[in-house]
Amino acid sequence: MPVISSLSKAKPHTLRSRAVTGACRVASSASIASLGFRLGPWLSWRSVRRYPWLKVLLRVNELAARLTAGRAGFYQEAVALLLANVTASIVDSVQGALAMPQRTVLHEDLVPPEILRAMGLHPWMAEFLGMVLPMVDPHAVEGYIDEAENQGIPADSCSLPKATLGLTLCGQMPRPRAVVTSNMPCDGGMMQYVLLERELGVPVFRLDVPHDVSSDRAVHYFAGELMRLIRWLERHTSARMDWDRLRAICEERNRAIEAELDLWDLLRARPAPLAAEPVYLTHLMYTVAEPGTPRGTRMFRAMLQYALRNHEAGLGALAEERHRAVLWNPPPMVFIDLFNWAERAHGVAMVMDMLTFHHHPFVDTRTPRSMLEDLARIIMQGPMARHTRGPAENFFGDLFHIAERFSADMIWLAGHVGCKNTQALVGMLRERCRMRRIPLLIIDYDLLDPRAVSPADIQGQVDRFMETVMGESRADFHGTREG
Amino acid sequence: MVPRPILSAGGLFPVRLRSPEVMGTPLADTYLSSVTCQYVRALLELAMEDRFSDLDGWVFAASCDHLRRLADNLLHVAPPNFLHVLDVPHRVGEEAITWLADELRNLCVKMEHQFGVDLSDEALTKAIWRENEVLSRLERIGRLRRDDPPALFGTDFHRLLAAWQVTPPAWFANTLGSLENALDSSTDRPPARARLMVCGSQIDQPRWIEVVESVGTVIVADRFCFGSIPGLEPWPVGVDPIRSMAEWLLVGSACPRMMERFDSRLERIQQVVREYRVDGVVVQSLKFCDLWGIELAALTRALRELGIPVLRLEREYGGGGEGQLRTRVQAFLESMGR
Repeated sequence: MPVISSLSKAKPHTLRSRAVTGACRVASSASIASLGFRLGPWLSWRSVRRYPWLKVLLRVNELAARLTAGRAGFYQEAVALLLANVTASIVDSVQGALAMPQRTVLHEDLVPPEILRAMGLHPWMAEFLGMVLPMVDPHAVEGYIDEAENQGIPADSCSLPKATLGLTLCGQMPRPRAVVTSNMPCDGGMMQYVLLERELGVPVFRLDVPHDVSSDRAVHYFAGELMRLIRWLERHTSARMDWDRLRAICEERNRAIEAELDLWDLLRARPAPLAAEPVYLTHLMYTVAEPGTPRGTRMFRAMLQYALRNHEAGLGALAEERHRAVLWNPPPMVFIDLFNWAERAHGVAMVMDMLTFHHHPFVDTRTPRSMLEDLARIIMQGPMARHTRGPAENFFGDLFHIAERFSADMIWLAGHVGCKNTQALVGMLRERCRMRRIPLLIIDYDLLDPRAVSPADIQGQVDRFMETVMGESRADFHGTREG
Repeated sequence: MVPRPILSAGGLFPVRLRSPEVMGTPLADTYLSSVTCQYVRALLELAMEDRFSDLDGWVFAASCDHLRRLADNLLHVAPPNFLHVLDVPHRVGEEAITWLADELRNLCVKMEHQFGVDLSDEALTKAIWRENEVLSRLERIGRLRRDDPPALFGTDFHRLLAAWQVTPPAWFANTLGSLENALDSSTDRPPARARLMVCGSQIDQPRWIEVVESVGTVIVADRFCFGSIPGLEPWPVGVDPIRSMAEWLLVGSACPRMMERFDSRLERIQQVVREYRVDGVVVQSLKFCDLWGIELAALTRALRELGIPVLRLEREYGGGGEGQLRTRVQAFLESMGR
């Protein structure tokens, strides 16, 4: 397989980064082992039988091995440390969903989990497994996608709701106390909850986000929706809102974001001191899935320190940074190794992406109202929501802003075939990129289903783009050009 | 989701766009891609061919991803003189009604400014009365389909509905009056092989209904965009016409975009099945329609659990596949023992 062959030619690791990487894998293994202890033998045995996806999650060290291979120095350490912590976070999340179903609230990925945690509830993101499992094993959710299609979900629907629905229809989604969802990020994502509600048979709450998210009126409306959610949760669970706890969570979130913004400043440097997973996976895990935790703050600060060290030493994340790309749309979960491979095959550093870049990052913690309004802004002005629900200018405005701010010389659009929202903007995007003279690579693929387009085909698309548009051939040996 | 009374007040003339004559969408595909709803692509194709140049403005509802992206692309490739996207909430409730009422007021202000028309409460109330006159006549004609045999075929009724969407209300009311009188006496038809209901996404081509009826069925009830249930219920006449319209739109909508209302949509279908003595339900969605595509998965299961025979179809916009459609309907009738 081309991925393996190119990775195997990577530069040898330094002693220190090898030691750190090894220690992180031991830590990951310990986290996984702790799940068994925390659940106890009976629940562990029952869970493994009932939820076969647990076996895929147990292989998370394979992901760590793939993503650290070929990278070196602080960049490699950053990836290793991040994955060890992500593993610990995943273990916590799974343990809560399996051991505390009465406190667990299944939520859509654009519902702020800060509110659930402040109420003493355990947030369990519905789309979480669909996103994480293919990162470990690209084929992991194929069966769930098939199950959803067999039950009547159109084949052209996005594979993320299909995977989530498939898990539910197979009886492999832990049954929560309640479900909270919204009309985001797209029609397919919204509609899946009709079936999910009927299948799980638990109460469901739906948040309504306006179409144009930019006005104060929209903030007021959505903050009201969040208040309505709190009252609903108080009625349908035994939980009560603890505003002090919400304040503490939001303050912790603010500390993490402070470090993230400093990290962004460093990423503008050439060469970029960090790239890819330390940028997008840290954000995805610690501002979307698990925001406002001390672990998240530690992670952002650690990534910042690694970036700072590289920057002060005049080093980039890559041995030779030839190109800087911004990624639009979520990263391809079925080929999460794409950036690791592209770094060595073409010297491309992925410096910023759609899911990471956000507006209105800080929460004003003075009053309950100010917290809810800022959480409303974070969701509405955040990734996906503002790109899929608002006018097209939200999409293009952010894209070209980050391309300029991070000095990208190319845009990669992960053209997930199931994302009709984005597909309907591709024609305009092509023309705007031409006008701005920014090379555009549209990767045709499916987010979660490698049967549509395999990782090797994705590599082929990148190679052809680099060859025909950028006029460069592959350089798999740490920046040494072959052709 | 765009209220017709606003578009027909003050001498304005509302046209609900359709494009069944489009044979292909090569230009629109370049922008919208081939995985966007064909109805939307067909509209963009016509717009790019300058076939809507006689329109003075476009009003969209942010009802689905595809229509919103049509508005975006239209602004890019063929910008009209006036384009407004109505921000319609996805749920019912006091806050949502207030939001939509504000949206409608904003639309009125913009239209008054753009077209120099009077959209005051008084003018809107007059427009509502005019619309309601047409709606009540259409509704009376639609009710004739409850009879067995019905006084008119679904095909004919849908030709009427299609004409209604593109004809000034005053003209149409007169035509309907004479039609009503003629229909009252025409009841000597043989009984149909089966009385069917059609549910799902947009059908603006009576030809599709005609094909379904060509195997001996009669479509007695419909629940689809461009259809009559709940599309023919009269607009409320209140002190505040805009707020009344906002409430009517949100509470009355049977579109799956209203995310909390699946159970009420299901109940409504059950009620129609009883009232119209429906033998079976044909549920259909346009290819690439996420709203109806997923809704129908749930709806099909729920209706079958209730013991109602269901035929599920996926359609292409613009016709085609008539032979296949006939075969599917015939097989469905046979499965019902008819």
